[in-house]
Amino acid sequence: MGRSILKNLIPVLIFILLWQVIALMVTAVKGVPFPTPWQTGVKFGSLLGGQFLSDHTLYRHILDSLTRWFIGFSIAAIAGIGYGLAAGWSRLFEDATYKILHILQLIPGLAWIPVAILIFGIGETATIFMIAMTAFTPVAINVLSGVKRLDTTFVRAALMMGAGRKALFLQVLLPGSLPAILSGLRIGLGNGWRVLVAAEMIVGTGTGLGYSIIQARWTLDYTSAFACLGVICAIGLVFEQFIFNPLEQRTIARWALDRDA
Amino acid sequence: MIRIENISKRYRYNGHESAMILSDINLTIPEGQFVCLLGPSGCGKTTLLNLVAGFIKPSQGRILFNDARVTGPGPERGVVFQDATLFPWLTVRQNVEFGLRQRGLNNNNRTKIATEYLHLVGMALHANAYPHTLSGGMRQRIAIARVLALEPQALLMDEPFSSLDINSREHLQDELLRVWDAHRRTLLYVTHSVEEAVYLADRVIIMGPAPKSICGDMILPLKRPRKHFSDEFRSVIASLRLSLDALPCCIKPSEKKSGRI
Ligand SMILES: Nc1ncnc2c1ncn2[C@@H]1O[C@H](COP(=O)(O)OP(=O)(O)O)[C@@H](O)[C@H]1O
Ligand SMILES: [Mg+2]
Repeated sequence: MGRSILKNLIPVLIFILLWQVIALMVTAVKGVPFPTPWQTGVKFGSLLGGQFLSDHTLYRHILDSLTRWFIGFSIAAIAGIGYGLAAGWSRLFEDATYKILHILQLIPGLAWIPVAILIFGIGETATIFMIAMTAFTPVAINVLSGVKRLDTTFVRAALMMGAGRKALFLQVLLPGSLPAILSGLRIGLGNGWRVLVAAEMIVGTGTGLGYSIIQARWTLDYTSAFACLGVICAIGLVFEQFIFNPLEQRTIARWALDRDA
Repeated sequence: MIRIENISKRYRYNGHESAMILSDINLTIPEGQFVCLLGPSGCGKTTLLNLVAGFIKPSQGRILFNDARVTGPGPERGVVFQDATLFPWLTVRQNVEFGLRQRGLNNNNRTKIATEYLHLVGMALHANAYPHTLSGGMRQRIAIARVLALEPQALLMDEPFSSLDINSREHLQDELLRVWDAHRRTLLYVTHSVEEAVYLADRVIIMGPAPKSICGDMILPLKRPRKHFSDEFRSVIASLRLSLDALPCCIKPSEKKSGRI
């Protein structure tokens, strides 16, 4: 127990140490104040205490970012899972659309900015659109390949036991591709998060962690920018640790699908 | 009763046709007979079984099951595959209930029937386990229970015990005979082992490479229960070995005559 805490603590300590060294070096060599871990921590504390950051509290920024992320990602997840299952089900549909998916995959998230602004103008919807677009492709591709990799003998066994089309879909295809769905969602969530922060910086949403970082830069409040960066990392880690890891434990590990494959 | 009429089979993939795998097979398997398909690997035993199961379509000829043409898989022809192909996302009991669920049975009846068949194969204690926690032999027992629960009119088994160790294989052979003896359902059993065929079957059909797909067809003159080391048992094995030795031991796809160059 003590050992495992220590093991988890070591990378954090190394990271903080490196940060401290870089901060001191940059400050010394370039003569600009580079926020140290300590300064950032203090700033973070006062932001948590309710200090305003670009006209809003930190909580408001976090909440707004999470909301955009959640909406954009939900759209992507539903569309991606739907597409993957449909294309895995129908060869015709797959052949007709797969090339498009491939092209979408090649478009970096930020490249959607002009498209988003042209369609939706500057603001909330454009940001959500960008998240949805970047999160959609990994979900769709993973689900599709999961459905296709599903052993044909599973489908044969189900048909032999009298499964109709609906049962085949709901009781075999869907649960059988659950591991692929989960890993697609995981990648999609990460992609969405990254593009969210970038989109907020550019599209101009007025609130949000990305927006705060870019605003803090204009006002030379680098310490706040660093505090926001920390929050962004922490949120990402929380989702990994407390949502996806347990979900995967529940499904993939329990069925030992990876071992069978 | 299974009637195989003038069946020929070539596989088709991306517009290409494979060499002739099965050529002009005619067989009638009466109700209740235990038939072993015996032959070197690659001669098309699985192909023939899959045709009877309805998983694949013949290139020529037709298959009748109780006078109705086979057009696809169905619960009246239960299949036990070489690997158990249990659904890894379902518990043992849910796997056995799968077919019952397709028949629209309610929860109580499903559980009752599934437990009954799990009892029959000695797996009732593992009803709540997930398949990956069980040994190969246990999984194959459950695969048999799952098919018996369909109350099929015929059983089709493709080398079901070939991946098990000798001990569990002989155990399962005896259990299969016991189960079969209780209902005397038609049983088509693929094997490449002479001993296994002679131990199990009423009738052995020897298969060879196309164009001579059926090389022998004999009713075994042995009473049940059979003893592995009796004189008559060994003499039947010897005579079957003679017929098999005349065939190439293993048919590689490259050695077969091909329809195209
Ligand atoms: N889906 C397929 N497509 C093309 N060729 C196949 C396919 N399945 C089997 N074959 C070929 O058909 C021949 C017979 O295979 P199979 O029926 O599995 O033989 P057996 O079960 O007797 O070992 C083999 O040469 C194999 O390569
Ligand atoms: Mg085979």
